[in-house]
Amino acid sequence: MSSSREKILAAVRANQPDELPLPTVPSFEGDDSVEKFTSIVQGIGGTVVEVTDAARLPEVIHQLFPADYRIASPLLPEANVPVDAQTPIEVLAAVDLAVLQGEFGVAENGSIWVPEANMLHRALPMITQHLALVLDRRNLVATMHQAYARLPSVGGYGTFLAGPSKTADIEQSLVIGAHGARSMVVLLV
Amino acid sequence: MSHSKRSDIFLLDTERTTWHDATLWFVRQKRDKAVYATPEFQELRQLASDIKDHTLSRLDFYLQQFEENARRNGVQVHWAADAHEHNQIVLGLLQQHGATRVVKSKSMLTEECHLNPYLIKHGVDVIDTDLGERIIQLRDEAPSHVVLPAIHLKKEDVGDTFHLHLGTEKGNNDPQQLTETARQHLREKFLVSEVAISGVNFAVAETGSVVVCTNEGNADLGVNLAKVHIACMGMEKLIPRLSDLSVFTRILTRSATGQPITTYTSHFSKPAEGKELHVVIVDNGRTKQLGRPDFRNSLKCIRCGACMNTCPVYRRSGGHSYDFTIPGPIGAILSPNIDMRKHASLPFASTLCGSCTDVCPVKIDIHTQLYKWRQVLGQEGEIPASKKWSMRLLSRVLAKPAMYGLGGKVARQGLRFLPHGLTHGKGYNPWAIARELPEPPKQSFREWYAQQMVKL
Amino acid sequence: MKVALFIPCYVDQFYPQVGIATLQLLEKLGVQADFPKQQTCCGQPMANSGCEQDAIPVYYNFVDTFDGYEYVVGPAGSCVYHVRKHFDIIEQTPAVQHVRANTYELFDFILNILGISEIPGSFPHKVGLHLSCHGQRGLHQANESEMTPVRDGQLKRLLSGMQGLELTELDRNDECCGFGGTFCVSEAGISARMGQDRVADHVRNGTRVLTGGDMSCLMHLEGIVRRAKLPIKVMHAAEILNGAIL
Repeated sequence: MSSSREKILAAVRANQPDELPLPTVPSFEGDDSVEKFTSIVQGIGGTVVEVTDAARLPEVIHQLFPADYRIASPLLPEANVPVDAQTPIEVLAAVDLAVLQGEFGVAENGSIWVPEANMLHRALPMITQHLALVLDRRNLVATMHQAYARLPSVGGYGTFLAGPSKTADIEQSLVIGAHGARSMVVLLV
Repeated sequence: MSHSKRSDIFLLDTERTTWHDATLWFVRQKRDKAVYATPEFQELRQLASDIKDHTLSRLDFYLQQFEENARRNGVQVHWAADAHEHNQIVLGLLQQHGATRVVKSKSMLTEECHLNPYLIKHGVDVIDTDLGERIIQLRDEAPSHVVLPAIHLKKEDVGDTFHLHLGTEKGNNDPQQLTETARQHLREKFLVSEVAISGVNFAVAETGSVVVCTNEGNADLGVNLAKVHIACMGMEKLIPRLSDLSVFTRILTRSATGQPITTYTSHFSKPAEGKELHVVIVDNGRTKQLGRPDFRNSLKCIRCGACMNTCPVYRRSGGHSYDFTIPGPIGAILSPNIDMRKHASLPFASTLCGSCTDVCPVKIDIHTQLYKWRQVLGQEGEIPASKKWSMRLLSRVLAKPAMYGLGGKVARQGLRFLPHGLTHGKGYNPWAIARELPEPPKQSFREWYAQQMVKL
Repeated sequence: MKVALFIPCYVDQFYPQVGIATLQLLEKLGVQADFPKQQTCCGQPMANSGCEQDAIPVYYNFVDTFDGYEYVVGPAGSCVYHVRKHFDIIEQTPAVQHVRANTYELFDFILNILGISEIPGSFPHKVGLHLSCHGQRGLHQANESEMTPVRDGQLKRLLSGMQGLELTELDRNDECCGFGGTFCVSEAGISARMGQDRVADHVRNGTRVLTGGDMSCLMHLEGIVRRAKLPIKVMHAAEILNGAIL
């Protein structure tokens, strides 16, 4: 317990106003359709591919990406880069494509919740050159209110991932592929 | 130097001013589009404001609740009373791990604390990884905007900088190619850094989590590769509940850039296995602001930058004209709390048009606080003596109707009969730099009115 | 209805025709307004400069002048806004409260107190409407682009009713003109640039008559128009309505 801690807390107590009420946040509903989700994902630079049958996943990946890609994935038998939490950085840095399971999608902003447990390694969704997230079409919610309502806990680490990495830091020109994945495709099953 | 003097320098380049204004107005328009498309946006603003007001009113409780939950999660929590202590804590952690290579994602707090120069002085190679931040780091400049740190630069400027520092071809000003160069350059840094420093957008008291929002993914990439993650946060970043994030994630990027959400909205609650997560909670003047009833709600700020994008003064004077870490309207109400004398001109760098208040997603009454800071500065003797005495004189005249009537007549006659060159001298009449004075009428309204009454 | 005319100091001295138009327009709408000559100013110049305390005697003069009237009406949203919002630092006697609550901007008064939403008349010109921030954002006399894409407001409605009048569609409907009271001299460079940009928007979109509800913004914009010798006439909306009313 540092002295700054005590000093800061004492100053806060002396200076904070009388208690003001904490509001209840209503659950603002909205459109949770596949169409809405798809149009938003496209708007933020991502792609949505509807996969009619989960068994066709390897085939779809094969169609979408070059055959020589180094793939990390817990979902595909043909994944050829084994990754876990201890995988060295050099190995991670050589991954071309990560195919990971998304838990649920948010239609209003095209984001998908990916918890640590689905990532193999915390850095994998960002260090991979390309990212594919598999999402069950029944797992769409309308807004962030329903999204957080589905999360009793955020675990050790988890992220709402919305489209490919991007920046507009040079003259507000949008460039896809800043530091994270250069492309992001949602595979709706 | 006052804001007005620094603005005059910015304004010398007319074309660039036009471009800067148009670029930021474009961001404001993107924000409008996103806001109009969200029917409950005004309700969300109110909720965000109320949640923050509540949090500030029980800040001692939430700080401790956050600390307790974070510790339970295996996070190490540190407290810094001021910028210097913050920097010492960070350096101490680096030294403890023998780390000399550090990547850093965007954090206005570490800018405020001047962490980079401090670390560099102590032999640490600290690299900013947000593209905009990296650009200005290479140029040894300060950010000119909280969300768009290099918005004062044109692509030609960035091309020149990258040519000089990263060996790109001279004259290559293509944003796509420059960004790719930065990606390759920074990947090397990401892969070898022992420690990664990030800012914090929100800290959730009930779970002990910190939330970091980026579009580039640089924060996640950095901290998830490094052995140690140090998250630096101002104490006002707290929110009570996880579910409160639903409100804040919906308003933050819509207000900032018009996006529905950032690409990465990441929740860090526990360190990865075998790694460390540290959170440094910083006061640095915040408790003092908390004790100023008229100004405390400036601590609700979530650093979206919407007030900068909308401010007609900011758009035409640039972020550096504020000479404070946080520029624009919000900077103008935060800065006098830190150093009243140095920043005395900032609350006057506004027409009080009120647009900042109306775009603020957490409903900070920015323009009212600007007005109130002016009064504080007036009372503390921090306004120019000439202004003070002329206002006192004006007040004497305006409090006495007869004196006012006579004074007005004399002034008008003066304007009517003095030569134009004398009344419009740019050296002593700033009005005349671009404007004609009104043509003084023979009669004032009150003189006309008195005449009508006589006629009746 | 006992109504007092509040003619702000700079209108009194520099734009008597605006005061006259205000008085005559009210008369034509059936309101006989007095002009209490004890009036001077609302105190805003001092207060905005950080010398609010110096403005207090001016505030008292304002209240003493207008206390005896049911309504106080002025052709200047900014001054009205100052009375309503910033006269809170003096003791809130019944007189102060009465004056603060019943001081109205001219068009707000016409629409909301007189209940007149249409003034018959003809003004066959291309008119650019400058929305003054204190009237718009302060007194809520017009929608704000920060909140809604719908460009609506009191003056827009009154002007739209004029025969032959075409309103300019501006690129930026409600950006500040940069006057800002003492800001226009303490930050003269930015102030001028803001004004030039506003005028350029009007020029680009065809304004021939530039109008608004607040003479202070118009004084600044007129100064720019005249310096640049542009073919734009600047008029207070009271002048337009008073001249055009049938």
